[in-house]
Amino acid sequence: MTMPGYAIETRRLTKQFGRVLALNEVDLAIKTGEFAALMGASGSGKTTLMNILSCLDSPSSGDILLEGTAVGELDEEGRRLFRSRRIGLVFQQFHLIPYLNALENVMLAQYYHSVVDEPSARKALDDVGLSHRFDHLPGQLSGGEQQRVCIARALVNRPGLIFADEPTGNLDEQNEERVLDILRALHRDGRTIVMVTHNPALGAAAERIIRLNHGRIES
Amino acid sequence: MAGNSLMPRLVVRALSVRSQRIVMVLFALIVGAAVTCALVAVYFDVSVKMSRELKTYGANFYVGPGQGATLPDEAYQTVFDGIPADMLEGGSPYLYGTARSELEKIVVAGVRFSSLRKLVPYWRTEGAWIGVDFDDRNALIGKTLAGRLGLKLNDTLVLIKNNEKRPFNIKGIIDSGDNSDHMLFVQFEFAQNWLEKPGLMSHALFNLINRHDGVDRLAETLSADHPDWSVRPIRRISAGEGGVLLKIEGLMGLISLVILSLSLVCVNASLAALITERRGEFALQKALGASNRAVVCQVLAETLIIALLASMVGVVIGYVLAQILGQSIFSAAVDLRAPVIPVTVALTVSVALIAAVLPLRRIAKIEPAVTLRGE
Ligand SMILES: Nc1ncnc2c1ncn2[C@@H]1O[C@H](COP(=O)(O)OP(=O)(O)O)[C@@H](O)[C@H]1O
Ligand SMILES: [Mg+2]
Repeated sequence: MTMPGYAIETRRLTKQFGRVLALNEVDLAIKTGEFAALMGASGSGKTTLMNILSCLDSPSSGDILLEGTAVGELDEEGRRLFRSRRIGLVFQQFHLIPYLNALENVMLAQYYHSVVDEPSARKALDDVGLSHRFDHLPGQLSGGEQQRVCIARALVNRPGLIFADEPTGNLDEQNEERVLDILRALHRDGRTIVMVTHNPALGAAAERIIRLNHGRIES
Repeated sequence: MAGNSLMPRLVVRALSVRSQRIVMVLFALIVGAAVTCALVAVYFDVSVKMSRELKTYGANFYVGPGQGATLPDEAYQTVFDGIPADMLEGGSPYLYGTARSELEKIVVAGVRFSSLRKLVPYWRTEGAWIGVDFDDRNALIGKTLAGRLGLKLNDTLVLIKNNEKRPFNIKGIIDSGDNSDHMLFVQFEFAQNWLEKPGLMSHALFNLINRHDGVDRLAETLSADHPDWSVRPIRRISAGEGGVLLKIEGLMGLISLVILSLSLVCVNASLAALITERRGEFALQKALGASNRAVVCQVLAETLIIALLASMVGVVIGYVLAQILGQSIFSAAVDLRAPVIPVTVALTVSVALIAAVLPLRRIAKIEPAVTLRGE
């Protein structure tokens, strides 16, 4: 049932937390190489959807195909491996390890993916404009720089899918612009990107806007 | 600097953050290790030595002068002849005196070498015992004296009197746990000559097989026949005293147990708090593809390093503590015997690992989807 050319497909994807229906039969199809923005009011289910798409969580019911793999049917171990091999995660809070420097934080993703390769970790940091910050601890970096380390970490294993949940939520405008530039570059590079944002201006930068409302797709 | 494994760096960096929790864990383990080390050291050195002395059958019959410091050595032969052959394990006259060596004045004891093993079976001897009574070339030396004179096995110790010199080969170094450690043991007759106490002895000791109170009856008979002697069975440290030692050992075991348990509880609580504090970190690692096992191994490695570090510091502090205990309870210095360090390390590491079991299980319960969720 996979249509070629789709990186992400969901059918009747549903997630329930106790009595809360966070996702209600979501049907979604995102093309390979597409840059989609996911928007919606707070509590509309954006993070829940992102978590399931990025294999951090499993749906209560429904199907999900990521690059042809039915990840909904994978067990936790299978999702873990899929995540480390095929998905890059960008967080609003960056989630860098505080006692590892920028380079080591990037290498951590390599370590859990396969093997540590320092030159390519340097290259990933270089790609986000941080070649002068290799040895800095997260605490010594600005918010914008931390987010770029986070992006470098998401990129370093060259995953096809990148999920960014409010990547600029903690950044000022200038850094927001910078992060957006990097995401655009990744998009040009052929990655499939899904980004959650509140900011209409950011949403406009994406090729397509998906709106969630009370766990349902609006448009 | 490129290594294929980031793990060692991860572990070392995590530890170098030196959070309060890690300091707590370290502290609790050091206290546990120090106390355990001290008590184990005391146990293996003083206590084992004393209880061995208690338990080993040695000299149990004493004949000495009623008054003064010496009595004729014929007394030895008289007693010897009066003891039924099937009762006598061994015996020796003893003569003590001071003599000059090349280095300093020392206490010399003349004995019958062949019987010594029956009288002081609890001596530990480095080198060899001396087998024959007429050997006046070899000597045994107490370890304290040997240490002070800087003598090792097969070294020569020269006694000096006026213009006379008499070399002795050190055949054995003894560790008795009593004041024999300060003496030089030489052939009995030589001692009589050298100390110029011909025909005299300080006292005699015998090891008698005690059947049907035979030793007590022998003492009564000899005392009656020789009122000028002091004759008495040596009451080996009585059952009561042996019991005290057992109790002290039991108490030391109990103290160790209590301290280790406290340390375990403290480590457990600190590790649990540490893992809760770092759950974001672990969630992130899991999000990046770390297995539970990988994260558990990392924390285990951190714990192990802390435990080993604590063991080392604990051994040093424990050694000092052991000296204090040894002096105040047994009035003796305490050596670190071979098993002390491995036992201390093993106990400390075990405590750390046992304490880590439950906290580590929380790692598997960390869900990145929940923990990393923004808001
Ligand atoms: N782990 C959870 N347990 C219970 N309810 C949850 C959980 N995660 C999310 N929810 C609920 O699901 C709904 C969607 O949440 P979320 O996906 O975080 O929305 P958004 O990211 O769009 O703000 C909310 O009502 C939220 O309270
Ligand atoms: Mg959200």
